[in-house]
Amino acid sequence: MTLLVGPVDNAIGAGAERAKRVLMLFSESKYVPGNLLVEQGARDVLLNSGRSLEFYAEYLDAGRFPEEGYYRLFRAYLQQKYAQRPPDLVLAFLARKFELAGQLPAEFFPKSPVVFGALTEAEIPRARVGSDVTGVVQRLDIQGALRLILQVQPETQRIVVIGGAAPLDRLYLALAEKAASSFKEQVQFDFWTTLSVAEMRRNVALLPKRTCVLVTTVFRDAAGETFFPEQVVSWLVSSSSVPIYVPADPMIGSGAVGGKVAHLEAVGNRVGELAERVLDGAAAGSMAIEVRKNGVPMFDWRALQRWGISESRLPPGSIVRFRPPTMWQQYRWYMVGALIIFTLQGIMIAGLLLQRARRRRAEAELQRNRDQLAHVARVSTVGELTAAVAHELNQPLGAILSNAEAAEMFLKTEPPALDEVRDILADIRKDDQRASEVIRRMRSLLRKRELAPQAVEINAAVEEVLKLLSIGSAARQAMIDFERTAGLPRIWCDPVHFQQVLMNLLLNGVDASADLPQERQHLFVRAGHDGNEMMKISVSDRGRGIAADRLAKLFEPFFTTKSDGMGMGLSIARTIVEAHHGRIWAENNPDIGATFYFTMPIAKSNRS
Amino acid sequence: MSKDQSTIHIVDDDPSFRTAVIRLLRAANYEVRGYASAGEFLSASADAAPGCVLLDLKMPGASGLDLQQSIANLAEPWPIIFLSGNGDIPASVRAMKAGAVDFLTKPVQREELLQAVERALERSASERQARSNLLETRRRYATLTPREREVLAHVISGKLNKQIAFRMGTTERTIKAHRGSMMDKLGLHSVAELTRMAQELGIEPIR
Repeated sequence: MTLLVGPVDNAIGAGAERAKRVLMLFSESKYVPGNLLVEQGARDVLLNSGRSLEFYAEYLDAGRFPEEGYYRLFRAYLQQKYAQRPPDLVLAFLARKFELAGQLPAEFFPKSPVVFGALTEAEIPRARVGSDVTGVVQRLDIQGALRLILQVQPETQRIVVIGGAAPLDRLYLALAEKAASSFKEQVQFDFWTTLSVAEMRRNVALLPKRTCVLVTTVFRDAAGETFFPEQVVSWLVSSSSVPIYVPADPMIGSGAVGGKVAHLEAVGNRVGELAERVLDGAAAGSMAIEVRKNGVPMFDWRALQRWGISESRLPPGSIVRFRPPTMWQQYRWYMVGALIIFTLQGIMIAGLLLQRARRRRAEAELQRNRDQLAHVARVSTVGELTAAVAHELNQPLGAILSNAEAAEMFLKTEPPALDEVRDILADIRKDDQRASEVIRRMRSLLRKRELAPQAVEINAAVEEVLKLLSIGSAARQAMIDFERTAGLPRIWCDPVHFQQVLMNLLLNGVDASADLPQERQHLFVRAGHDGNEMMKISVSDRGRGIAADRLAKLFEPFFTTKSDGMGMGLSIARTIVEAHHGRIWAENNPDIGATFYFTMPIAKSNRS
Repeated sequence: MSKDQSTIHIVDDDPSFRTAVIRLLRAANYEVRGYASAGEFLSASADAAPGCVLLDLKMPGASGLDLQQSIANLAEPWPIIFLSGNGDIPASVRAMKAGAVDFLTKPVQREELLQAVERALERSASERQARSNLLETRRRYATLTPREREVLAHVISGKLNKQIAFRMGTTERTIKAHRGSMMDKLGLHSVAELTRMAQELGIEPIR
C-alpha cells in the first residue's frame, strides 16, 4: 500500500473494498526524532500486514504552541477536515496532552477507535480514556539507566545527571534524584539543573575520568531557550570528555553510548500490532493498556569503540546499533572486484615471467653473437698481428739457426771448441722456449672465447698492447707514448677484449700518421676517470684531424678510408665497448690532431 | 781485400740473435762487433774499423732505414746488408734503392749470409780503393803549376802544341816542356788517360 498515489476517490469501483483510513495524530511537531521512530515502528507493522490502508498525519506541535486557543482551533480544523471522511482508526502518539487519548473519541471522532502510544510518567487509566481506546504507555527507566551505567562501567565513581528547566525536565530530574538515592553508597551524584546549554557544554569538557553523564531531558534550559532534547545530547557529546548515557532511543546515534532506553520504535511496533487487531474487528476497549516501565539496553557501537567499552560487558539481550557491516557485507562487490583484479594480475605476472625467460634466452643468444663477432674481429686482426708474430718468431728461429751453424763449425775445429758448443746449446734451448711462448700467446688471442670479465689493471694491459705493437711491421714507425698515471682503479672487463679495442685504436692511429713528417708521428695514450663509475682511455694523434661529418660515422660497419680496409675494426670495437656498458667516441683536439676515447666500468670493489 | 783488415758491424736489438750471428761470423774467422741500437753504432762510428754493416730493420728509436741514411752521409760510408724479421716488400725496395748490398730475412742460412758479407766486404774494399785513388789524383793535380794546369785544359780540348803555344803566347818548345812535366807529375801516359782524369776531377776544357 503506497501513499504515493494521490487521494483516491471514495468510489473506486462498486463492490471494491474501500481502503481503511488511518489517521496518525502527533502531539509534537513532525520532525521530533521520537515521532519519527514511533511512526516508523507503527507503519512497519501495518504495511507488512497486507491491508490496503490510507494514512493521514496531523501534528499538533503542542510543545511549541501550547496555547489553549490554538488547541481549540486545531480541534475545529480536524473536525471540519475529516467530517466527510472520518478515520476508521486513530493512532495517537503523545508526548504531552495525554488527555487527547480520551478526548479524541469524545470530542473529535466519536466513531473512531484510538490506539495511542504515550511517553509519560503519568497514569493513564482506562477510566480516563474511555471505552474505545487502548494503547501503550512508556515510562523512562531511570533507575535501570543508572544500574546499567554501573554494570557497563563499574569503575565509575561519579555520575552527573543533566536536566533542563522545563516542567517535564524537572519531573524527570525528580525521578532521577529518587533513583539516585539507592546508589549513593557506590557513586557520587551531581545534578546540573540550573545551567544553560552553553554552560553545560563547557562543563562536560572538563569532567575527570571515571565520570559518566546521564542526560534526562532538556526541553528548556536555565537561560530559557527551548530545544529538542536529542539536539542537546548531540551537542554535549561533541564537547564531552566522558561517556554520555541517554534515556530514550531517539537520542542514540549522535554519539551517546546508549542506555536503558525507552524503545520508542518498539512502542510504535506495539501500537501497530494493536491497530491491526482493531482493524480486524477487535474492540479497542477489550485490550488492556500496556505500561512499559523497563527500558531496553541499547548501545551505539561507534561510541562503544570510542570509549573502549567491550561488548562482553553489555547485559544479554542488548541491542547494538550502528554496528558497521562486516567487511564482506560492506565491501562484497569491492572484494569480488579485487579478487578478479588479483587474478588478472597473477595472470599478467605469469605472462611477464614468461617474457622475461624468453628475453633472457634472447640476450644469451645476442651475447653469443657478439662473441662470434668479436672472434671474427680477432681473426681479421690476425692480418695486423701477422707482422708482429712473424717478427717475434723469426728472432728466436734466426738465432737458433745461426747458433746451430756456428756449432757445426766449432765442432770441425781441431780440437773441437766444445765449451762454445755448450754455450750454444743452452742458448738454443732458451730461444726455443721463447718461440713457444709467442705461439702460446697468439693461440690464446685467437681462441674464440666467451666474455670473461675480471678486474684488470689498466697500466699493465696498456703496456702489454704497446709491447705487441712495438714489434709490428717495419712500415709503422710512429712512436707511442703512454702517459702512465699511478694508482688507477682496476676496471671490470674481459682483458683480451680491452686489448683488442686499444690495439685497434692504436693501429688506426699509426696508419693515419704514416705519411706525416717524423715529428708528428706521435700517438699518446692516457687513462683517467670519467665520473665515479667509469675509466676513460684515450688515444691521441697529431695528424690532420677528422672531418666533422665523419666523427659519428667512424664507428659504423664498413666505414673505411683505407683502400684495402674492411671497415670492421671500429664498429667491432664499439660492439665490444658497449657490451661492457661503456662508450666509444672521437673528437678533434683543440690544437692539432684527433683523440679517440673509450670508457670501461670500474671494478665494483674499487668504486669509491 | 783481405778479411784481416775488415770488421763486420752488426746492429740488432735482439741480444739472442745478435750473439748467435756474432758466433757464426767469428767461427768463419771474421772480425765482428755488435751494437744494440743505431745510436750506439753512430757514436762509435768515428773509430769503427772499415768493413760492412749488418742492420736489423725495426729497432727502438731510429730504424734501420734511418741509419742507412745517416751512414750514407758519412765521408766513408759502410756498405749495408739488411737482416729483417719480416719480409716487408715496400721496406726492402726502399732499402735496395737507397743502395743496400742485400736484404736478408731471419732466420738466415749461413751460406747466404757469408756470401752477402763477402760481397759487401769486396765492395767496401773497392770503394776504399777508389776513394784513395781519387785522393791521390787530387794530390798530384795540386802539384801542377798554374801554367801546367792551363796547358792541361788546352790539351784536353784537342789542340795541337802549335795552337796552344799561340794561344798562350809562348813557343811550341815551352809548351812541349810544360806538357812533359805535367804528364810526369800526374803519372799518366796518354791523352786518353788525361782526359779521363780531368773528367774525374771535374776540370773543363778551354775552347
